[in-house]
Amino acid sequence: MNFRAFVYFAAAALAGMSAPAYSEDIHDVDHKIPPGYKPEESRDEKGLWMEIEEYELALNKSALLVRDPEINNYLQSVVCRVAGDYCSDVRVYLVRNPGFNASMTATGMMQVWTGLLVRASSTDELAAVIGHEIAHYTRLHTLERLRKLKSMAARGSIFDLGVAILTGYSTPIGQASAMLNVLAFNREQESEADFLGARLVAEAGYDPHAAYRVWEKIIAEEKAAIDKRPEPGIFSKTHPDAGVRAAELKAWVSDKWGPPDQEETADEALVTVMNNHYLFLMEDMIDTNRFGRTEELLKRHAAMGVNPSLVRYFYGEMFRQRGADGDTELAMAAYRHSIEGGAAPPEAYKNLGYLYLKTDNPASAQESFRDYLARNPDASDRAMIEFYLEEGPQ
Amino acid sequence: MKKTAVLLALAAALISACATMSYQSVLPGVNTLGELQVTADAGWNLAPAYATPNATSKSQTWTRDGLLLDRLIIIPAVADGEALFKSRDPAAALPPFRASMLPNEIEEMTESTIVKLFGEGSAVVSTENLRPWGFAEHRGVMFDIAVTVTESPDYRGMVGAFIVGDKLYMILFLAATPYYYDKHIASVEALIKGAAIRVPTVPTA
Repeated sequence: MNFRAFVYFAAAALAGMSAPAYSEDIHDVDHKIPPGYKPEESRDEKGLWMEIEEYELALNKSALLVRDPEINNYLQSVVCRVAGDYCSDVRVYLVRNPGFNASMTATGMMQVWTGLLVRASSTDELAAVIGHEIAHYTRLHTLERLRKLKSMAARGSIFDLGVAILTGYSTPIGQASAMLNVLAFNREQESEADFLGARLVAEAGYDPHAAYRVWEKIIAEEKAAIDKRPEPGIFSKTHPDAGVRAAELKAWVSDKWGPPDQEETADEALVTVMNNHYLFLMEDMIDTNRFGRTEELLKRHAAMGVNPSLVRYFYGEMFRQRGADGDTELAMAAYRHSIEGGAAPPEAYKNLGYLYLKTDNPASAQESFRDYLARNPDASDRAMIEFYLEEGPQ
Repeated sequence: MKKTAVLLALAAALISACATMSYQSVLPGVNTLGELQVTADAGWNLAPAYATPNATSKSQTWTRDGLLLDRLIIIPAVADGEALFKSRDPAAALPPFRASMLPNEIEEMTESTIVKLFGEGSAVVSTENLRPWGFAEHRGVMFDIAVTVTESPDYRGMVGAFIVGDKLYMILFLAATPYYYDKHIASVEALIKGAAIRVPTVPTA
Protein backbone atom coordinates (compact mmCIF):
# COMPACT_ATOMS: atom_id res chain seq x y z
CA MET A 1 0.00 0.00 0.00
CA ASN A 2 1.46 3.37 -0.97
CA PHE A 3 1.21 6.48 1.16
CA ARG A 4 -1.88 7.82 -0.62
CA ALA A 5 -3.68 4.52 -0.21
CA PHE A 6 -2.75 4.51 3.45
CA VAL A 7 -4.17 8.02 3.89
CA TYR A 8 -7.45 6.93 2.25
CA PHE A 9 -7.55 3.84 4.44
CA ALA A 10 -6.89 5.85 7.59
CA ALA A 11 -9.42 8.53 6.70
CA ALA A 12 -12.11 5.97 5.87
CA ALA A 13 -11.46 3.99 9.04
CA LEU A 14 -11.45 7.04 11.28
CA ALA A 15 -14.56 8.42 9.61
CA GLY A 16 -16.33 5.11 10.14
CA MET A 17 -15.31 5.09 13.78
CA SER A 18 -16.36 8.59 14.60
CA ALA A 19 -19.38 9.18 12.39
CA PRO A 20 -22.48 10.10 14.36
CA ALA A 21 -24.96 7.26 14.47
CA TYR A 22 -28.25 9.14 14.52
CA SER A 23 -30.70 6.74 12.93
CA GLU A 24 -33.88 8.48 14.04
CA ASP A 25 -34.99 11.88 15.27
CA ILE A 26 -33.57 12.11 18.76
CA HIS A 27 -36.66 14.00 19.95
CA ASP A 28 -39.06 11.20 19.00
CA VAL A 29 -37.25 8.10 20.20
CA ASP A 30 -39.44 5.50 21.85
CA HIS A 31 -38.99 2.55 24.19
CA LYS A 32 -37.01 -0.36 22.76
CA ILE A 33 -38.27 -2.97 25.20
CA PRO A 34 -41.74 -3.90 26.41
CA PRO A 35 -42.79 -3.86 30.07
CA GLY A 36 -41.68 -7.02 31.86
CA TYR A 37 -38.61 -7.35 29.61
CA LYS A 38 -36.18 -10.16 30.31
CA PRO A 39 -32.70 -10.42 28.75
CA GLU A 40 -32.26 -12.15 25.45
CA GLU A 41 -30.27 -15.33 25.17
CA SER A 42 -27.21 -13.41 23.99
CA ARG A 43 -24.21 -14.06 26.22
CA ASP A 44 -23.26 -10.43 26.73
CA GLU A 45 -26.73 -9.34 27.88
CA LYS A 46 -27.21 -12.36 30.16
CA GLY A 47 -23.75 -11.80 31.62
CA LEU A 48 -24.43 -8.12 32.16
CA TRP A 49 -27.66 -8.92 34.00
CA MET A 50 -25.93 -11.48 36.22
CA GLU A 51 -23.22 -9.02 37.21
CA ILE A 52 -25.71 -6.28 38.00
CA GLU A 53 -27.90 -8.67 39.98
CA GLU A 54 -24.89 -9.55 42.13
CA TYR A 55 -24.21 -5.86 42.65
CA GLU A 56 -27.84 -5.30 43.59
CA LEU A 57 -27.62 -8.02 46.26
CA ALA A 58 -24.64 -6.19 47.77
CA LEU A 59 -26.40 -2.83 47.51
CA ASN A 60 -29.35 -4.26 49.42
CA LYS A 61 -27.05 -4.79 52.39
CA SER A 62 -25.40 -1.37 52.23
CA ALA A 63 -25.49 0.63 55.44
CA LEU A 64 -25.74 3.77 53.31
CA LEU A 65 -29.20 2.86 52.01
CA VAL A 66 -31.97 5.05 53.41
CA ARG A 67 -34.59 2.60 54.64
CA ASP A 68 -37.14 5.01 56.10
CA PRO A 69 -40.56 3.94 54.72
CA GLU A 70 -41.98 7.46 54.30
CA ILE A 71 -39.18 8.80 52.14
CA ASN A 72 -38.99 5.55 50.13
CA ASN A 73 -42.75 5.42 49.55
CA TYR A 74 -42.65 8.99 48.26
CA LEU A 75 -39.81 8.15 45.87
CA GLN A 76 -41.43 4.90 44.73
CA SER A 77 -44.70 6.72 44.01
CA VAL A 78 -42.89 9.20 41.73
CA VAL A 79 -41.03 6.37 39.97
CA CYS A 80 -44.22 4.41 39.36
CA ARG A 81 -46.13 7.41 38.08
CA VAL A 82 -43.38 8.25 35.57
CA ALA A 83 -42.61 4.63 34.63
CA GLY A 84 -46.27 3.76 33.99
CA ASP A 85 -46.42 0.18 32.66
CA TYR A 86 -42.72 -0.28 33.48
CA CYS A 87 -43.31 0.39 37.20
CA SER A 88 -42.84 -3.20 38.32
CA ASP A 89 -39.58 -3.43 36.31
CA VAL A 90 -37.89 -0.66 38.28
CA ARG A 91 -36.46 -1.03 41.78
CA VAL A 92 -35.38 2.25 43.33
CA TYR A 93 -32.75 2.57 46.06
CA LEU A 94 -32.17 5.81 47.95
CA VAL A 95 -28.47 6.12 48.79
CA ARG A 96 -27.07 8.48 51.40
CA ASN A 97 -24.78 10.67 49.33
CA PRO A 98 -24.99 14.47 49.23
CA GLY A 99 -23.92 14.68 45.57
CA PHE A 100 -26.30 15.24 42.67
CA ASN A 101 -26.88 11.97 40.90
CA ALA A 102 -29.21 9.17 39.94
CA SER A 103 -28.33 6.12 37.90
CA MET A 104 -30.01 3.22 36.15
CA THR A 105 -28.80 -0.22 35.17
CA ALA A 106 -29.86 -2.56 32.38
CA THR A 107 -31.84 -4.62 34.89
CA GLY A 108 -34.03 -1.78 36.16
CA MET A 109 -32.07 -1.10 39.37
CA MET A 110 -32.22 2.62 39.95
CA GLN A 111 -30.13 4.49 42.51
CA VAL A 112 -31.11 7.95 43.66
CA TRP A 113 -28.72 9.90 45.85
CA THR A 114 -30.08 11.95 48.73
CA GLY A 115 -28.26 14.91 47.14
CA LEU A 116 -30.89 14.83 44.40
CA LEU A 117 -33.66 15.24 46.96
CA VAL A 118 -32.02 18.30 48.52
CA ARG A 119 -31.63 19.84 45.06
CA ALA A 120 -35.17 19.28 43.76
CA SER A 121 -37.41 22.30 44.21
CA SER A 122 -40.48 20.29 43.30
CA THR A 123 -41.62 16.74 42.66
CA ASP A 124 -41.73 17.73 38.97
CA GLU A 125 -37.96 18.23 39.02
CA LEU A 126 -37.40 14.94 40.82
CA ALA A 127 -39.70 13.27 38.27
CA ALA A 128 -37.67 14.80 35.44
CA VAL A 129 -34.47 13.11 36.62
CA ILE A 130 -36.31 9.85 37.23
CA GLY A 131 -37.85 10.05 33.75
CA HIS A 132 -34.36 10.45 32.29
CA GLU A 133 -33.18 7.32 34.13
CA ILE A 134 -36.20 5.28 33.08
CA ALA A 135 -35.52 6.28 29.48
CA HIS A 136 -31.99 4.87 29.83
CA TYR A 137 -33.59 1.59 30.92
CA THR A 138 -36.25 1.29 28.22
CA ARG A 139 -33.78 2.31 25.50
CA LEU A 140 -31.31 -0.45 26.56
CA HIS A 141 -28.58 2.16 26.91
CA THR A 142 -26.30 0.18 29.23
CA LEU A 143 -26.26 -2.85 26.96
CA GLU A 144 -25.74 -0.76 23.84
CA ARG A 145 -22.93 1.16 25.52
CA LEU A 146 -21.21 -2.09 26.39
CA ARG A 147 -21.57 -3.40 22.85
CA LYS A 148 -20.36 -0.11 21.37
CA LEU A 149 -17.33 -0.11 23.63
CA LYS A 150 -16.38 -3.64 22.65
CA SER A 151 -16.83 -3.08 18.94
CA MET A 152 -15.00 0.27 18.88
CA ALA A 153 -12.12 -1.07 20.97
CA ALA A 154 -11.71 -3.95 18.49
CA ARG A 155 -11.82 -1.62 15.49
CA GLY A 156 -9.38 0.76 17.13
CA SER A 157 -6.93 -2.06 17.80
CA ILE A 158 -7.17 -3.32 14.21
CA PHE A 159 -6.60 0.20 12.93
CA ASP A 160 -3.54 0.70 15.16
CA LEU A 161 -2.20 -2.68 14.05
CA GLY A 162 -2.68 -1.73 10.41
CA VAL A 163 -0.82 1.53 10.93
CA ALA A 164 2.00 -0.29 12.70
CA ILE A 165 2.33 -2.82 9.86
CA LEU A 166 2.25 -0.15 7.16
CA THR A 167 4.45 2.45 8.76
CA GLY A 168 6.48 0.63 11.35
CA TYR A 169 5.21 3.05 14.00
CA SER A 170 2.95 2.08 16.87
CA THR A 171 0.35 4.79 17.51
CA PRO A 172 -2.73 4.99 19.72
CA ILE A 173 -4.73 6.85 17.04
CA GLY A 174 -7.26 4.07 16.59
CA GLN A 175 -7.81 3.55 20.32
CA ALA A 176 -8.10 7.30 20.93
CA SER A 177 -10.56 7.67 18.09
CA ALA A 178 -12.54 4.71 19.44
CA MET A 179 -12.68 6.34 22.86
CA LEU A 180 -13.89 9.63 21.39
CA ASN A 181 -16.51 7.73 19.43
CA VAL A 182 -17.76 5.91 22.55
CA LEU A 183 -17.94 9.19 24.45
CA ALA A 184 -19.92 10.78 21.61
CA PHE A 185 -22.23 7.75 21.71
CA ASN A 186 -22.66 8.21 25.49
CA ARG A 187 -23.55 11.86 25.01
CA GLU A 188 -26.05 10.94 22.32
CA GLN A 189 -27.65 8.45 24.71
CA GLU A 190 -27.86 11.14 27.38
CA SER A 191 -29.65 13.43 24.94
CA GLU A 192 -32.04 10.62 24.00
CA ALA A 193 -32.78 10.04 27.67
CA ASP A 194 -33.32 13.79 28.17
CA PHE A 195 -36.00 14.00 25.49
CA LEU A 196 -37.72 10.66 26.13
CA GLY A 197 -37.57 11.38 29.88
CA ALA A 198 -39.29 14.75 29.37
CA ARG A 199 -42.03 13.02 27.36
CA LEU A 200 -42.55 10.41 30.11
CA VAL A 201 -42.78 13.19 32.68
CA ALA A 202 -45.37 15.09 30.64
CA GLU A 203 -47.39 11.94 29.97
CA ALA A 204 -47.42 11.23 33.72
CA GLY A 205 -48.95 14.64 34.36
CA TYR A 206 -45.82 16.31 35.72
CA ASP A 207 -44.57 19.62 34.38
CA PRO A 208 -42.15 18.92 31.47
CA HIS A 209 -40.57 22.36 31.99
CA ALA A 210 -38.96 20.83 35.08
CA ALA A 211 -36.67 18.88 32.69
CA TYR A 212 -34.57 21.95 31.91
CA ARG A 213 -35.08 23.70 35.25
CA VAL A 214 -33.08 20.90 36.89
CA TRP A 215 -30.10 21.80 34.72
CA GLU A 216 -30.54 25.53 35.20
CA LYS A 217 -30.34 24.93 38.93
CA ILE A 218 -27.23 22.80 38.63
CA ILE A 219 -25.62 25.68 36.73
CA ALA A 220 -26.73 28.15 39.44
CA GLU A 221 -25.24 25.90 42.12
CA GLU A 222 -21.95 25.64 40.24
CA LYS A 223 -21.82 29.44 39.99
CA ALA A 224 -22.37 29.70 43.74
CA ALA A 225 -19.66 27.13 44.52
CA ILE A 226 -16.39 28.29 46.03
CA ASP A 227 -14.49 25.21 44.88
CA LYS A 228 -15.65 24.59 41.32
CA ARG A 229 -15.77 21.08 39.99
CA PRO A 230 -13.12 20.69 37.29
CA GLU A 231 -14.51 20.53 33.76
CA PRO A 232 -14.11 17.03 32.31
CA GLY A 233 -11.49 16.78 29.59
CA ILE A 234 -12.19 15.69 26.03
CA PHE A 235 -11.43 12.07 26.94
CA SER A 236 -13.80 11.95 29.90
CA LYS A 237 -16.83 13.92 28.79
CA THR A 238 -19.61 11.35 29.05
CA HIS A 239 -22.46 13.87 29.32
CA PRO A 240 -23.38 16.94 27.28
CA ASP A 241 -22.78 20.33 28.92
CA ALA A 242 -25.47 21.29 31.43
CA GLY A 243 -25.99 24.59 29.62
CA VAL A 244 -26.48 22.87 26.26
CA ARG A 245 -28.90 20.36 27.80
CA ALA A 246 -30.91 23.11 29.47
CA ALA A 247 -31.11 25.22 26.29
CA GLU A 248 -32.06 22.31 24.00
CA LEU A 249 -34.66 20.97 26.40
CA LYS A 250 -36.13 24.42 27.03
CA ALA A 251 -36.56 25.10 23.30
CA TRP A 252 -38.05 21.68 22.62
CA VAL A 253 -40.33 21.53 25.67
CA SER A 254 -41.62 25.06 25.03
CA ASP A 255 -42.25 24.21 21.39
CA LYS A 256 -44.07 20.97 22.19
CA TRP A 257 -46.04 21.91 25.31
CA GLY A 258 -46.07 25.71 25.16
CA PRO A 259 -44.56 28.08 27.68
CA PRO A 260 -44.79 27.28 31.39
CA ASP A 261 -48.31 28.20 32.46
CA GLN A 262 -47.53 28.96 36.06
CA GLU A 263 -44.70 29.86 38.35
CA GLU A 264 -42.88 27.05 40.05
CA THR A 265 -44.81 25.88 43.06
CA ALA A 266 -43.54 23.52 45.69
CA ASP A 267 -45.77 20.58 46.39
CA GLU A 268 -46.91 19.40 49.75
CA ALA A 269 -45.52 15.89 49.32
CA LEU A 270 -41.90 16.95 48.75
CA VAL A 271 -41.99 19.66 51.43
CA THR A 272 -43.38 17.15 53.96
CA VAL A 273 -40.62 14.67 53.17
CA MET A 274 -38.02 17.41 53.41
CA ASN A 275 -39.36 18.67 56.74
CA ASN A 276 -39.40 15.18 58.23
CA HIS A 277 -35.88 14.24 57.09
CA TYR A 278 -34.20 17.61 56.72
CA LEU A 279 -31.70 17.16 59.54
CA PHE A 280 -29.86 14.14 58.16
CA LEU A 281 -30.17 15.31 54.56
CA MET A 282 -28.54 18.66 55.30
CA GLU A 283 -26.06 17.39 57.89
CA ASP A 284 -24.53 15.28 55.11
CA MET A 285 -24.37 18.41 52.93
CA ILE A 286 -22.73 20.41 55.73
CA ASP A 287 -20.13 17.65 56.12
CA THR A 288 -18.95 18.33 52.56
CA ASN A 289 -17.69 21.76 53.72
CA ARG A 290 -19.02 23.22 50.46
CA PHE A 291 -20.70 26.25 51.98
CA GLY A 292 -21.19 28.11 48.67
CA ARG A 293 -23.31 25.24 47.37
CA THR A 294 -25.02 24.78 50.75
CA GLU A 295 -26.07 28.43 50.77
CA GLU A 296 -27.54 28.09 47.28
CA LEU A 297 -29.58 25.06 48.40
CA LEU A 298 -30.75 26.83 51.56
CA LYS A 299 -32.05 29.75 49.47
CA ARG A 300 -33.95 27.23 47.36
CA HIS A 301 -35.40 25.46 50.41
CA ALA A 302 -36.55 28.74 51.94
CA ALA A 303 -38.30 29.64 48.68
CA MET A 304 -40.04 26.28 48.32
CA GLY A 305 -41.50 26.38 51.81
CA VAL A 306 -39.35 24.02 53.88
CA ASN A 307 -39.91 24.84 57.55
CA PRO A 308 -38.06 28.17 58.03
CA SER A 309 -36.98 27.16 61.50
CA LEU A 310 -35.06 24.20 60.07
CA VAL A 311 -33.64 26.16 57.14
CA ARG A 312 -32.42 28.89 59.48
CA TYR A 313 -30.67 26.36 61.69
CA PHE A 314 -28.63 25.23 58.69
CA TYR A 315 -27.98 28.84 57.69
CA GLY A 316 -26.38 29.09 61.13
CA GLU A 317 -24.31 25.97 60.47
CA MET A 318 -23.27 27.25 57.05
CA PHE A 319 -22.25 30.71 58.32
CA ARG A 320 -20.27 29.15 61.15
CA GLN A 321 -18.51 26.77 58.76
CA ARG A 322 -17.73 29.58 56.29
CA GLY A 323 -16.20 31.68 59.05
CA ALA A 324 -15.84 34.91 57.03
CA ASP A 325 -15.90 38.35 58.63
CA GLY A 326 -19.31 38.95 60.16
CA ASP A 327 -20.36 35.30 59.87
CA THR A 328 -20.38 34.80 63.65
CA GLU A 329 -23.07 37.47 63.98
CA LEU A 330 -24.99 36.07 61.01
CA ALA A 331 -24.85 32.58 62.51
CA MET A 332 -26.08 33.83 65.88
CA ALA A 333 -29.01 35.62 64.22
CA ALA A 334 -29.83 32.50 62.21
CA TYR A 335 -29.86 30.29 65.34
CA ARG A 336 -32.05 32.81 67.19
CA HIS A 337 -34.51 32.92 64.27
CA SER A 338 -34.48 29.13 64.10
CA ILE A 339 -35.31 28.94 67.81
CA GLU A 340 -38.07 31.55 67.43
CA GLY A 341 -39.52 29.43 64.63
CA GLY A 342 -40.25 26.66 67.11
CA ALA A 343 -38.76 23.70 65.23
CA ALA A 344 -35.07 24.22 65.98
CA PRO A 345 -33.12 21.09 66.85
CA PRO A 346 -31.48 21.14 70.30
CA GLU A 347 -28.14 21.75 68.60
CA ALA A 348 -29.30 25.27 67.67
CA TYR A 349 -29.22 26.14 71.39
CA LYS A 350 -25.85 24.49 71.86
CA ASN A 351 -24.16 26.13 68.90
CA LEU A 352 -25.63 29.49 69.85
CA GLY A 353 -24.17 28.92 73.30
CA TYR A 354 -20.71 28.31 71.85
CA LEU A 355 -20.98 31.49 69.78
CA TYR A 356 -21.92 33.44 72.92
CA LEU A 357 -18.72 32.09 74.45
CA LYS A 358 -16.77 33.27 71.41
CA THR A 359 -18.27 36.74 71.65
CA ASP A 360 -17.52 37.09 75.37
CA ASN A 361 -21.07 36.66 76.57
CA PRO A 362 -20.71 33.78 79.04
CA ALA A 363 -24.01 34.49 80.83
CA SER A 364 -26.00 34.02 77.62
CA ALA A 365 -23.84 31.00 76.79
CA GLN A 366 -24.83 29.40 80.08
CA GLU A 367 -28.50 30.03 79.37
CA SER A 368 -28.23 28.49 75.90
CA PHE A 369 -26.31 25.49 77.21
CA ARG A 370 -28.95 24.90 79.88
CA ASP A 371 -31.67 25.14 77.20
CA TYR A 372 -29.74 22.59 75.14
CA LEU A 373 -29.49 20.07 77.95
CA ALA A 374 -33.15 20.61 78.88
CA ARG A 375 -34.14 19.71 75.32
CA ASN A 376 -31.61 16.92 74.96
CA PRO A 377 -31.10 15.39 78.42
CA ASP A 378 -29.35 12.35 76.93
CA ALA A 379 -26.90 14.48 74.94
CA SER A 380 -23.71 12.52 74.32
CA ASP A 381 -21.69 15.70 74.84
CA ARG A 382 -23.26 16.42 78.23
CA ALA A 383 -19.84 16.24 79.92
CA MET A 384 -18.51 19.00 77.66
CA ILE A 385 -21.51 21.23 78.22
CA GLU A 386 -21.46 20.66 81.97
CA PHE A 387 -17.80 21.58 81.97
CA TYR A 388 -18.73 25.03 80.62
CA LEU A 389 -21.69 25.31 82.97
CA GLU A 390 -19.45 24.56 85.94
CA GLU A 391 -17.05 27.28 84.84
CA GLY A 392 -19.87 29.72 85.47
CA PRO A 393 -20.48 33.12 83.85
CA GLN A 394 -17.01 34.51 84.59
CA MET B 1 38.80 3.80 43.99
CA LYS B 2 36.71 6.78 42.97
CA LYS B 3 34.33 4.45 41.14
CA THR B 4 33.99 2.24 44.22
CA ALA B 5 33.19 5.26 46.37
CA VAL B 6 30.48 6.36 43.95
CA LEU B 7 28.96 2.88 43.90
CA LEU B 8 29.02 2.71 47.68
CA ALA B 9 27.34 6.11 47.93
CA LEU B 10 24.72 5.00 45.43
CA ALA B 11 24.10 1.79 47.35
CA ALA B 12 23.78 3.73 50.60
CA ALA B 13 21.30 6.11 48.97
CA LEU B 14 19.28 3.17 47.67
CA ILE B 15 19.25 1.48 51.07
CA SER B 16 18.14 4.76 52.63
CA ALA B 17 15.39 5.09 50.00
CA CYS B 18 14.27 1.53 50.72
CA ALA B 19 14.00 2.37 54.39
CA THR B 20 11.55 5.18 53.65
CA MET B 21 9.60 2.89 51.30
CA SER B 22 8.89 0.29 53.96
CA TYR B 23 7.18 0.07 57.32
CA GLN B 24 9.35 0.83 60.32
CA SER B 25 8.97 -0.32 63.89
CA VAL B 26 7.74 2.05 66.54
CA LEU B 27 9.06 0.85 69.86
CA PRO B 28 7.06 0.88 73.08
CA GLY B 29 7.73 3.89 75.27
CA VAL B 30 7.82 7.62 74.68
CA ASN B 31 7.73 8.78 71.06
CA THR B 32 8.05 12.38 70.03
CA LEU B 33 6.79 14.17 66.92
CA GLY B 34 7.92 17.73 67.01
CA GLU B 35 6.75 18.92 70.41
CA LEU B 36 4.08 16.25 70.77
CA GLN B 37 4.87 13.31 73.01
CA VAL B 38 2.91 10.08 73.11
CA THR B 39 3.60 6.94 75.06
CA ALA B 40 2.98 3.58 73.42
CA ASP B 41 2.37 0.57 75.66
CA ALA B 42 3.42 -1.80 72.90
CA GLY B 43 4.93 -1.66 69.45
CA TRP B 44 3.37 -0.12 66.34
CA ASN B 45 4.39 0.08 62.69
CA LEU B 46 5.09 3.45 61.12
CA ALA B 47 3.53 3.55 57.64
CA PRO B 48 5.70 4.86 54.80
CA ALA B 49 4.68 8.05 53.00
CA TYR B 50 3.55 6.26 49.84
CA ALA B 51 0.96 4.34 51.86
CA THR B 52 -0.50 7.49 53.38
CA PRO B 53 -0.64 10.00 50.51
CA ASN B 54 -3.09 12.26 52.34
CA ALA B 55 -0.90 12.65 55.42
CA THR B 56 1.00 15.89 55.85
CA SER B 57 4.78 15.73 56.14
CA LYS B 58 4.74 16.50 59.85
CA SER B 59 2.22 13.81 60.78
CA GLN B 60 2.79 10.08 61.24
CA THR B 61 0.46 7.15 60.67
CA TRP B 62 0.91 4.05 62.79
CA THR B 63 -0.79 0.70 62.46
CA ARG B 64 -0.75 -2.67 64.17
CA ASP B 65 -2.71 -4.95 61.85
CA GLY B 66 -2.51 -2.99 58.59
CA LEU B 67 -3.82 0.38 57.44
CA LEU B 68 -7.16 -0.98 56.23
CA LEU B 69 -7.83 -2.46 59.66
CA ASP B 70 -6.48 0.12 62.06
CA ARG B 71 -4.61 3.38 61.92
CA LEU B 72 -3.43 5.84 64.51
CA ILE B 73 -2.71 9.26 63.01
CA ILE B 74 -0.61 11.65 65.03
CA ILE B 75 -0.86 15.21 63.76
CA PRO B 76 1.27 17.79 65.55
CA ALA B 77 1.23 21.59 65.33
CA VAL B 78 -1.47 22.31 62.75
CA ALA B 79 -1.27 26.07 62.20
CA ASP B 80 -4.21 28.42 61.71
CA GLY B 81 -5.52 28.02 58.15
CA GLU B 82 -3.98 24.57 57.61
CA ALA B 83 -5.99 21.40 57.09
CA LEU B 84 -5.46 18.15 58.98
CA PHE B 85 -4.60 16.32 55.78
CA LYS B 86 -3.59 17.22 52.24
CA SER B 87 -5.27 16.46 48.96
CA ARG B 88 -4.14 16.52 45.37
CA ASP B 89 -7.62 17.61 44.33
CA PRO B 90 -7.73 21.43 44.31
CA ALA B 91 -11.53 21.24 44.68
CA ALA B 92 -11.41 18.92 47.72
CA ALA B 93 -12.55 21.71 50.09
CA LEU B 94 -10.76 20.32 53.14
CA PRO B 95 -11.85 22.34 56.16
CA PRO B 96 -9.05 24.45 57.66
CA PHE B 97 -8.19 24.64 61.34
CA ARG B 98 -8.80 28.02 62.99
CA ALA B 99 -7.03 28.90 66.22
CA SER B 100 -10.29 30.39 67.51
CA MET B 101 -12.10 27.05 67.23
CA LEU B 102 -14.11 25.85 70.20
CA PRO B 103 -14.61 22.13 70.98
CA ASN B 104 -17.70 21.72 68.80
CA GLU B 105 -15.88 23.21 65.83
CA ILE B 106 -12.84 20.95 66.24
CA GLU B 107 -15.26 18.02 66.31
CA GLU B 108 -17.07 19.25 63.16
CA MET B 109 -13.83 19.96 61.30
CA THR B 110 -12.63 16.42 62.07
CA GLU B 111 -15.93 14.91 60.93
CA SER B 112 -15.83 16.79 57.63
CA THR B 113 -12.15 15.92 57.13
CA ILE B 114 -12.81 12.21 57.63
CA VAL B 115 -15.60 12.42 55.04
CA LYS B 116 -13.02 13.74 52.57
CA LEU B 117 -10.48 11.11 53.59
CA PHE B 118 -12.85 8.26 52.77
CA GLY B 119 -14.16 10.04 49.66
CA GLU B 120 -16.99 12.56 49.62
CA GLY B 121 -20.21 10.67 49.15
CA SER B 122 -18.59 7.32 49.92
CA ALA B 123 -18.93 7.52 53.68
CA VAL B 124 -21.19 8.90 56.36
CA VAL B 125 -19.26 10.09 59.41
CA SER B 126 -20.68 10.86 62.82
CA THR B 127 -19.11 11.96 66.08
CA GLU B 128 -20.33 11.74 69.67
CA ASN B 129 -19.31 11.84 73.31
CA LEU B 130 -17.45 15.14 73.06
CA ARG B 131 -15.85 15.53 76.45
CA PRO B 132 -13.14 17.62 78.11
CA TRP B 133 -9.72 16.16 78.78
CA GLY B 134 -6.56 17.64 80.21
CA PHE B 135 -3.47 16.82 78.17
CA ALA B 136 -0.96 17.48 80.95
CA GLU B 137 -1.46 21.17 81.69
CA HIS B 138 -3.34 21.87 78.44
CA ARG B 139 -7.12 21.80 78.23
CA GLY B 140 -8.40 19.74 75.35
CA VAL B 141 -11.17 17.47 74.17
CA MET B 142 -11.80 13.89 73.28
CA PHE B 143 -14.62 12.44 71.19
CA ASP B 144 -15.63 9.23 69.45
CA ILE B 145 -16.09 8.78 65.75
CA ALA B 146 -18.04 6.32 63.57
CA VAL B 147 -17.67 5.86 59.81
CA THR B 148 -20.13 4.00 57.60
CA VAL B 149 -18.55 3.21 54.25
CA THR B 150 -20.09 2.10 50.96
CA GLU B 151 -18.18 -1.10 50.28
CA SER B 152 -16.06 -1.83 53.30
CA PRO B 153 -16.41 -2.67 56.98
CA ASP B 154 -17.58 0.15 59.22
CA TYR B 155 -15.00 1.96 61.30
CA ARG B 156 -15.03 3.35 64.82
CA GLY B 157 -12.48 5.54 66.41
CA MET B 158 -11.40 7.98 69.05
CA VAL B 159 -9.91 11.45 68.78
CA GLY B 160 -7.96 13.58 71.22
CA ALA B 161 -7.18 17.21 70.41
CA PHE B 162 -5.86 20.33 72.08
CA ILE B 163 -4.65 23.76 71.10
CA VAL B 164 -1.37 25.21 72.33
CA GLY B 165 -0.07 28.55 71.08
CA ASP B 166 -2.60 28.75 68.25
CA LYS B 167 -1.60 25.31 67.00
CA LEU B 168 -3.70 22.18 67.04
CA TYR B 169 -2.35 18.83 68.19
CA MET B 170 -4.48 15.83 67.32
CA ILE B 171 -4.35 12.06 67.68
CA LEU B 172 -6.91 10.23 65.63
CA PHE B 173 -7.58 6.50 65.77
CA LEU B 174 -9.80 4.55 63.36
CA ALA B 175 -10.27 0.79 63.23
CA ALA B 176 -12.58 -1.68 61.55
CA THR B 177 -15.41 -2.55 63.85
CA PRO B 178 -16.02 -4.52 65.91
CA TYR B 179 -12.92 -6.73 66.09
CA TYR B 180 -10.00 -4.38 65.46
CA TYR B 181 -11.57 -1.46 67.29
CA ASP B 182 -12.19 -3.63 70.35
CA LYS B 183 -8.72 -5.16 70.10
CA HIS B 184 -6.85 -1.86 70.27
CA ILE B 185 -9.10 0.72 71.87
CA ALA B 186 -7.89 0.32 75.47
CA SER B 187 -4.26 0.73 74.44
CA VAL B 188 -5.10 3.64 72.15
CA GLU B 189 -7.23 5.43 74.74
CA ALA B 190 -4.32 5.33 77.18
CA LEU B 191 -1.98 6.67 74.48
CA ILE B 192 -4.35 9.52 73.61
CA LYS B 193 -5.00 10.45 77.24
CA GLY B 194 -1.29 10.52 77.93
CA ALA B 195 -0.39 12.82 75.03
CA ALA B 196 1.40 15.98 76.06
CA ILE B 197 3.60 18.76 74.84
CA ARG B 198 7.23 18.00 75.54
CA VAL B 199 8.59 20.11 78.31
CA PRO B 200 11.87 21.69 77.19
CA THR B 201 14.74 20.48 79.30
CA VAL B 202 17.03 23.07 80.76
CA PRO B 203 20.68 22.06 80.57
CA THR B 204 22.26 21.86 83.98
CA ALA B 205 25.70 23.12 84.65
